[in-house]
Amino acid sequence: MLDSFIPSWAELLRFMPEIILSLVGSLLVMLEPVTGPKSKSMLGHVAIAGLIVALGATFVAHANPGAAFSSMIVVDGFATFFRVIVFTVGILTIFSSYQYLDREGSNRGEYYALILFSVVGQSVMVVANELIMIFIGLEISSIATYVLAGFLRDDKRNNESAIKYFLLGSFATGFLLYGIALIYGATGTTDLGEVRQAVLQSAEPPVLLLSVAAGLMFIGLGFKVSGAPFQMWTPDVYQGAPTPVTAFMSAGPKAAAFAIFLRIFVTVFESVGDRWEPLIWASALASMTIGNFAALQQKNFKRLLAYSSIAHAGYVLVALTARSEIGTASAMFYLAAYALMNMGAFAVIAHVAGKGETTVDVSDFAGLGAKQPVTAALLTIFMLSLIGVPLTGGFFGKFYIFKAALESKLLWLAILGLLNSAVAAYYYLRVLVVMYMEEPSARTENLEPMPMSLQAALWLPAAGVLFLGIFPSAVLEFASASARLLGQ
Amino acid sequence: MDHILSIVLFTPLLGLAVLLFIPSSNTAAIRWCANAAAFAGFAVSLPLVFAFDPALDFQFVERLSWIPSIGASYHLGIDGFSLLLVLLTTLLGFLAILSSWTAIREREKEYYAYFLVQQTGMLGVFMARDAFLFFLFWEMVLIPMYFIIAIWGGPRRSYAAIKFVIYTLVGSVLMFLGILALYWQHFSEFQTYSFAIEDLMRTQVPASMQWWVFWAFFLGFAVKVPMWPFHTWLPDAHVEAPTAGSVILASILLKMGTYGFLRFSLPLLPDSAKDPQVIQIVAGLSIIAIIYGALASLMQKDWKKLVAYSSVSHLGFCTLGIFALNPAGIAGSILQQINHGISTGMLFLVVGIVYERRHTREIAAFGGLYKIMPVFGIAFLIATLSSMGMPPLNGFIGEITILKGAYQTSLAWAVWCAIGIALGAAYLLWLYQRTMLGDVKETNSGLTDLNAREIAVFAPLVVLVFLIGLYPKPFFRVLERPTAHIVERVRPGYHAEHRLVNPLEAPRPTAGLER
Amino acid sequence: MLDTVFFYLFTLLTLGGAILTVATRNAVHSALFLITSLLGVAGLYLLLHAEFLFAVQIIVYVGGIMVLFLFVIMLVNLDAAAAQRQFSRMWPVALGCVALVGLELFYFLGKGEPAFRIAAPPPVPEPTAGNTERIADVLFSQYLLPFEIASLLLLVAVIGSVVMAKKRI
Repeated sequence: MLDSFIPSWAELLRFMPEIILSLVGSLLVMLEPVTGPKSKSMLGHVAIAGLIVALGATFVAHANPGAAFSSMIVVDGFATFFRVIVFTVGILTIFSSYQYLDREGSNRGEYYALILFSVVGQSVMVVANELIMIFIGLEISSIATYVLAGFLRDDKRNNESAIKYFLLGSFATGFLLYGIALIYGATGTTDLGEVRQAVLQSAEPPVLLLSVAAGLMFIGLGFKVSGAPFQMWTPDVYQGAPTPVTAFMSAGPKAAAFAIFLRIFVTVFESVGDRWEPLIWASALASMTIGNFAALQQKNFKRLLAYSSIAHAGYVLVALTARSEIGTASAMFYLAAYALMNMGAFAVIAHVAGKGETTVDVSDFAGLGAKQPVTAALLTIFMLSLIGVPLTGGFFGKFYIFKAALESKLLWLAILGLLNSAVAAYYYLRVLVVMYMEEPSARTENLEPMPMSLQAALWLPAAGVLFLGIFPSAVLEFASASARLLGQ
Repeated sequence: MDHILSIVLFTPLLGLAVLLFIPSSNTAAIRWCANAAAFAGFAVSLPLVFAFDPALDFQFVERLSWIPSIGASYHLGIDGFSLLLVLLTTLLGFLAILSSWTAIREREKEYYAYFLVQQTGMLGVFMARDAFLFFLFWEMVLIPMYFIIAIWGGPRRSYAAIKFVIYTLVGSVLMFLGILALYWQHFSEFQTYSFAIEDLMRTQVPASMQWWVFWAFFLGFAVKVPMWPFHTWLPDAHVEAPTAGSVILASILLKMGTYGFLRFSLPLLPDSAKDPQVIQIVAGLSIIAIIYGALASLMQKDWKKLVAYSSVSHLGFCTLGIFALNPAGIAGSILQQINHGISTGMLFLVVGIVYERRHTREIAAFGGLYKIMPVFGIAFLIATLSSMGMPPLNGFIGEITILKGAYQTSLAWAVWCAIGIALGAAYLLWLYQRTMLGDVKETNSGLTDLNAREIAVFAPLVVLVFLIGLYPKPFFRVLERPTAHIVERVRPGYHAEHRLVNPLEAPRPTAGLER
Repeated sequence: MLDTVFFYLFTLLTLGGAILTVATRNAVHSALFLITSLLGVAGLYLLLHAEFLFAVQIIVYVGGIMVLFLFVIMLVNLDAAAAQRQFSRMWPVALGCVALVGLELFYFLGKGEPAFRIAAPPPVPEPTAGNTERIADVLFSQYLLPFEIASLLLLVAVIGSVVMAKKRI
């Protein structure tokens, strides 16, 4: 009975990135009291080093694919792909945080530790092959993010953001848990592979129960990815949280939530696919439309990007609606591109925001093109990628998604989605108009030069977005191969 | 010579790379560098003229695998039609940049950078043999033009630029949907992914699907042309854009729409294209554009807006010629596209020169300019006459060929065409009369005539006006095969039926080179 | 027979406690009723032969968390809150939700057994091995990883609450 008590080396290796990050995170908390107030950034460097080592461990783990810990986790291409995304998001978040935290006078070790723990949670989510693991990972990620959203405790908007995020997030988790319980009730197991087998092999699958479970999980995950009609928390939370944290929330937890969305819906609920497809169809359309049309009205840049993130969740949901390998692969690709471009855009906001985030309106970016042409040019790349202009990652992301939609005969969804993306061009371009064509605002007039750390947070994603836009082949093929394995 | 198309395509980008290393304070070096890059772009495209063999189809083909998983490739090649547009682009791109020498005085580095990027984009559109690559370049043109209008434009530039982008983007999104539909149809028929246009042409598209794919393409191209009623972005964009931007917009960007009709709509969806209902609708819209554009031009008080509306009218001729679906109509339409590029380009340059000196474009503010600016007056006269189709200038050849094609299809079309031509003569001559003849106004008496640089801008265009007008044969010769391909594709056996010589069946001097 | 009697008894305890938790005005009373409700759940666990869960439920929830709750409630002055209206204006929404759930319930009841068809129950535990021992076995073999990872969850929660609560770090 207890033979498997001690995990084998190979099993540990497959879980090594999470182990490393947990250790580094704990180390940071221990180092925090012994570092002087001036040298807190050192802790951030340690965190980045930890993430880079974890990234390396991810590739080592990928070289030894397979299940581990009684098949609690499984290391496959899919997991590796998302691990790389969430680790990269972690690195970029920390790069864009140094200056911000210093400015707000809150540069503390817990911040970096919480980022690492949140990343661990997301990483657990994406490798998990078992509903309980998924749940625990989601909770780790969420709780750490709740705290991060309210990290600047003296800031009212931070508090509002944290409370809203916490309440609605907990609520959503409840739904997810209820769905998990129903699956266990229907099949007697929480292992995704076994659930799938149980559903496929039983002569008469409990369709009704599974559909209800799928619906409940959809609600829970819908909240996490801010897909309509569960998107209403997004603008307030994104606007209130510290900007680097907003960037983090919009990329990491979202990608991880979509990862489990894909894993669960592609494996477990595949057999009742025709039941939930209309649901996601409607949600995708509603997310795109609500996000894009609401974003047209926004003056606050963070709020604008919050609505845009709803719209982008809608695009990914289109890929899910396609229910095909290509759909899965396109969703993966899109999430990678989206994480990069959004991180970059938010890094620019973090730079311009100023102490207390007093200058985050679009109009505060006026004249940025004249005052800091390089920053403006990089922001232009991110905006163009968000629009989906060719030669950027955003374009190929959209292209693969709508290709997948057409191949699954989702003609109307593709047409409406594409028209939506044309509407979206308006508000992204408005940012460029303001940035390049208006007289410098009071803020851009006195904008401090960009520190090295923030430059890294801009150049890396910009390079990534362009790479995905010009040579998408390698990444896409990796995603396709992973999606093929996932569907089996 | 193997990579000549790539060389032509990337010369502007190479110039851009050099340009980026010049500090933005050194404006003289920036101007020189941009002009040199644009001129080099034109110079490297000249060998195409001599190496091009009108007896072959696509030439100078280059093909590299790019994204194998979706079947997109870097695939270039030009036929006679593309050749003319490529040359027009390299020439006008250079002239547009040259014309900005004194007109643009702020943020010059960015300005020239956008022009060079745009140049590559436009060339790519005309060279691409892969639908995906085509779309990519198509979109690549959009963003620089947006910035050119939005940064260096007139007072309402922001509105005009956004309107331009949104209209075009909606159109191109629909066009892309059409491409995807064909791509998907090709996949389900052959089980291989490919965006290559020749592969897509092999696809048997079911009639119902052809119908809506046709309209998806149609909207995309019609916005770009622009056909009535999708033209409303055009006057705004033209009026607000800086002179060089207007020149490029009118001379080349609009041709991307008509190019799309001839390269995609007709050959890929022949059944829909010859559907009488479709033809009636498209021809109806074209005729409305011709008449409406001309009438609107007659009413304009703004010089530039008048020229802008004249584009709507002229492009109406081009689309009408295309949907006449016979060799004369199509060849005439192509030639007229080139002519329009030359003559309207000149007209916009004319407006730009006046505007640079007087900072107004109101027609009523001028008069008698011929007396103080005689060289300018002559250049303007040539542009006017060319634009209204006066023999023996280039416009005449184009319009008369379209008229012939239209007449072969329907007498009514030809009548409307003739009315359009007459109206065109009216608004252009009236414009000339109001601005150039009559008494000299006091405010204008100090204006200087063209300087050497400005003459250099007009000279090549004037030469072309006469060349095409007096000796159009080589132009028709290179257009023979592309035209015949399109006609035979849409109406198989058309040449035999009408006892015309089918250039496709003519003996080939150098066999086996066709790819 | 006895089982059934106890089942209804515990159910009554659970549901009654829950209703009174939200219905009473006094926060201390609410907390006490919540304890009652949790005790009812513990009883249900016992009926299902889940002795370990029964013990955990009482020790952790009733003994630990709820006592902490009571402390907090008593430390914070809640007199002002008690004077306010207890039911907010959102009650029509709540009514709608209840109606929906009720409808759902009756639908399933109407469908009868097949709608509730769930997986076959796991094999009956051997009389020799106690429930607690089996849980330990499973927890330290098959569920080792989630068990360990849960500790990370607790760590994050601790750090988080310290960050949120401490005045100046």
